[in-house]
Amino acid sequence: MWQFPVSDQVPQISGNRQACGNRFDKQQRTFIQMRTVLKVVDNSGAKKVMCIQALKGKKGARLGDTIIASVKEAMPNGKVKKGKVVYGVVVRAAMQRGRCDGSEVKFDDNAVVLVDKQGQPIGTRVFGPVPHELRQKKHVKILTLAEHIA
Amino acid sequence: MASQVLPQALHMIPRNQVQPFNPVKNRGFSAFLSRGPSPLTTSKVSVSGFHSKFPVGSSFSCFARRGFVVRAESNPEGEGEAERNENGVEEPETKAEAEVEGEGEGEGEDEAEEEKPKEPRKPRIKLGDIMGILNKRAIEASDKERPTPDLRTGDIVEIKLEVPENRRRLSVYKGIVISKQNAGIHTTIRIRRIIAGIGVEIVFPVYSPNIKEIKVVKHRKVRRARLYYLRDKLPRLSTFK
Repeated sequence: MWQFPVSDQVPQISGNRQACGNRFDKQQRTFIQMRTVLKVVDNSGAKKVMCIQALKGKKGARLGDTIIASVKEAMPNGKVKKGKVVYGVVVRAAMQRGRCDGSEVKFDDNAVVLVDKQGQPIGTRVFGPVPHELRQKKHVKILTLAEHIA
Repeated sequence: MASQVLPQALHMIPRNQVQPFNPVKNRGFSAFLSRGPSPLTTSKVSVSGFHSKFPVGSSFSCFARRGFVVRAESNPEGEGEAERNENGVEEPETKAEAEVEGEGEGEGEDEAEEEKPKEPRKPRIKLGDIMGILNKRAIEASDKERPTPDLRTGDIVEIKLEVPENRRRLSVYKGIVISKQNAGIHTTIRIRRIIAGIGVEIVFPVYSPNIKEIKVVKHRKVRRARLYYLRDKLPRLSTFK
């Protein structure tokens, strides 16, 4: 029987559900925590950041939460440089987020938009889809800049 | 306490007291017992003592055959009022439960049954069927407002959703159904689509009142029930205009 390749395909991190049966049955996506590398989807200059603190939540940050991150990779001329500590709002998460009507949404990657301490985005454009959970979290500016609201 | 009332209650049971408690018979009292309220447990002990002291005829032997459940029944008089007052919230619940069961008859409970005029025997609804019946009713109720088409894995569907936050227009979600989880009223489908270069999967409860319309646009032939392999494949396969 064909099994999933035993490579890094299955990030079997202890998630919020018990893994029963075969390990490869279901991919278990979990929170955004320290050392999680996220993609930056605005034009602030950074390319990749590594989360160093999830501001809310004991286990980690989820979709719509704010994190503190350190810039690991940046464009040569940008508003932020490599090594800078920034705040960010998680706009896409591989972990599903439940909505109040019973639906759930999940994306294929983890992405963040850099903001300042007040919550205003540093960049002027946001790429890719964003969920409308951000409206509830009062990140209206990011929603208006977004390409597509999922 | 109830013990003073009991001697009379024990004698009177077969004739008078069973009638008001008929619907709540075994089910209701077993439900009571499972909740384990203290008046019932204390009464059990006292009744067993009474059994030995008052070996009254056939009615009790037939009651005793039922053992556990019966002892609670044997003193409905003293406990009934107490139960009604204390478990006022639980009572209508169990009564409603019993009504849903369609006044289930006892397992051949004798004299007390035949006394009152019986309606034609309804098919007995078992405990295990209740959830199925409730789910079916809920699905019928939701189908009346909005008919749900038959959805299968591999369908390319378009869903019009009303989001209370959005207020302005209906959000449209298009994509391929990669899985369907059947759970009665909470039957969900998982829609996958590439939006703006990123794959997005959304789980929709099919019978949700927020969903204003589900339309099957196309169908793709698939040989699986869950299309999770699409996550590893090229984005081209999950793109739908």
